[in-house]
Amino acid sequence: MKALLRFFTSVRVAITLLIVLICVSILGTLIPQDRSPQEYLIRYGQISGLLQRLQFTRLYHSLWFILLLALFGLNIAVCTIERLPAKLRRAMRPRFETKSKNLLALKIRDRFACAFGLAEAKEATKRELKRRHYRLRMEEEEGRVALTARKRVLGLFGSDVVHVGLLIILAGGIISGLGGRRSNLTLLENQTLPVPEAGFSIRLDKFTTELYPDGNIKDWKSALSVIEDGRPVRQKTIEVNHPLSHRGFVFYQSGYGWDWKDPTLEIWVKKKSDSANLHKLLLRPGEAATLEGENLEVRAVRFLPDFVLGDENQPTTRSTEPNNPAAFIEGRQGEETIFSGWVFAKFPDFSRMHSAKGTDLSVELKNIEAPQYSVIQVAKDPGVEWIWIGCGLLMVGLFLAFYWPTREIRFILDPGHGKTEIAAGGISAKNRETFEAEFKEIIASLRKLK
Amino acid sequence: MNESTLFAAAFVLYALAAFLYLAYLFSKRVKPAATGFGAASLGLFVHTAALILRTVESRHAPFTNMYESLSFLSWATVMAYVIVERKYKVRPAGPYVMLIVIGLMALASSPLMPKDATPLVPALQSYWLWLHVSVTLLGEAFFAIAFVTSLMYLRAQASENKGRSSKSGLTAERLDSISYRAVAVGFPLFTLGGLVFGMVWAHKAWGAYWSWDPKEVWSLITWFVFALYLHTRIVMGWKGRRSAAIAIIGFLAALFTYFGVNYLLAGLHSYA
Repeated sequence: MKALLRFFTSVRVAITLLIVLICVSILGTLIPQDRSPQEYLIRYGQISGLLQRLQFTRLYHSLWFILLLALFGLNIAVCTIERLPAKLRRAMRPRFETKSKNLLALKIRDRFACAFGLAEAKEATKRELKRRHYRLRMEEEEGRVALTARKRVLGLFGSDVVHVGLLIILAGGIISGLGGRRSNLTLLENQTLPVPEAGFSIRLDKFTTELYPDGNIKDWKSALSVIEDGRPVRQKTIEVNHPLSHRGFVFYQSGYGWDWKDPTLEIWVKKKSDSANLHKLLLRPGEAATLEGENLEVRAVRFLPDFVLGDENQPTTRSTEPNNPAAFIEGRQGEETIFSGWVFAKFPDFSRMHSAKGTDLSVELKNIEAPQYSVIQVAKDPGVEWIWIGCGLLMVGLFLAFYWPTREIRFILDPGHGKTEIAAGGISAKNRETFEAEFKEIIASLRKLK
Repeated sequence: MNESTLFAAAFVLYALAAFLYLAYLFSKRVKPAATGFGAASLGLFVHTAALILRTVESRHAPFTNMYESLSFLSWATVMAYVIVERKYKVRPAGPYVMLIVIGLMALASSPLMPKDATPLVPALQSYWLWLHVSVTLLGEAFFAIAFVTSLMYLRAQASENKGRSSKSGLTAERLDSISYRAVAVGFPLFTLGGLVFGMVWAHKAWGAYWSWDPKEVWSLITWFVFALYLHTRIVMGWKGRRSAAIAIIGFLAALFTYFGVNYLLAGLHSYA
């Protein structure tokens, strides 16, 4: 047990773990994560099976990576706890130096004779140090005074605060991983959906897309109502970067799309010879309308939001974005098909119209209306508060460790004939130059005492 | 005066500073270095004006595409250098730092980088853009300084080993200590801007504070490398060569996080 403890407290293990974590993390960015088995087969061939079995393809969520992180956390915890008692002792009980010889072996040091007697010299030293916010402890022994002045003692614990912060972040990560829930709600306007495991519902009141003048997306906004027991209790318009938070659930604007199941197509049918003779039709796929006075039935057979010719030249849709909306239109007179073919909203001049009989009609797909839905990501993350606490401690600890170094000056005041010999030595782990400057100032003002 | 004129003026001043510092490097006369520092400071001033103008014209933070962020990183590096030179008298590092700055500025001006200010996509419309990017890049600028002084350390140490004094006039020991100081500034800034602010923003915009996105992972790798630097140094007492090597690797990791990830690895951070 002791040997095991010693193993975990060794800095060598910490260093090794850091190096291993660095290498493994790099590996995880070189192998694309969470792709399909087919993609891995194409990319890596024979070894793809092995990579997946070793969980290299979802490395950061693999058991062995999590174990590695746990080991890292354990090492941090053990190292910190092991060093803490000695540090606490040092912080609570300052040490005194009784031999001037030892003081004068320090790098920052000085000695001089003060023209005052011991009592006055002591008071003057105390005054000067207190002015500079040092805290003093004193010990008198054999007529000599040993004095230890310190400030910024908290700086001793900078690295411990950092480590505690990191442990809390790791713990937060575990809590998020175990207790976190994430799902997507796809809502049409005025639709209400229950939030999974939440006991309340959410309604989309309005969804808007804002565009910049150049046509690029500026923002998506969803006006949401929180419904509890059938009544709206809260309303907020969320947008990217501005989620809604309710009872531990956070709602993010995460996506949008169109419900192409039931679009309304605006179709213009006109005579080429007589452009004033224009018929505007509003049709849904499958619907037909008869043109007045023409004895012609126009039917919208099919609609594709993003028309593309797929395998074997079959029309299909590439995405659910209306990048290339197209409708298959048929025109009939009685049993006879006059024309049929695809018309494209973005390419009105290009139509793949086949007509059996010479026809004077042209068909355009002018506009498409489809209900838009908003995708709302619902997240419940009980670890997140811990993460912020950990981050706070991490930053406070880094500040203490780098910019709040403990400064300690030990003095020995030795009474002589009507004067006092003063020896002083300074100890500071970091920022020695600025400390040395302060040390010199203190000594200089003590020397000036007359 | 428009932004690109000011940017070009800053570039010219930095180039002048680099030239003067190089003249100092080869002639060992102090005067060109002092003038070089002046040119760099004036360049920094003009560059600041360029960034402010860019912000006013585009109405968003001046680091939303590669051109803007390279320009800002150059600015931050000159800024970091001006601070370090004033504080620690590291004139001999000037030529190298200015060469890095010239490289970054040249990359920013290359025709490969679109320079138009485009309106912000929804995910970037947040004040966290300011906090996350500026603090991270400032931290990386200090890593760049540590990179230069660590490389200089390796040279100085090699000549001191042969019994000669360091060519740059800074002793190996001093360069080692300056590298540490630069890391001591860069590391907390990088932690705050890159990791902490990054997580807060990711939580707000994407709904998850950490997604193991390649850029996130690489910033963590960079952080681990500098953690390694600090632990080997403070706890195990490594100094000198090994420390310098880790600081060099750390900066390269930071550079890869900043630059390489965008072009080589796909992920959420596809904007810049």
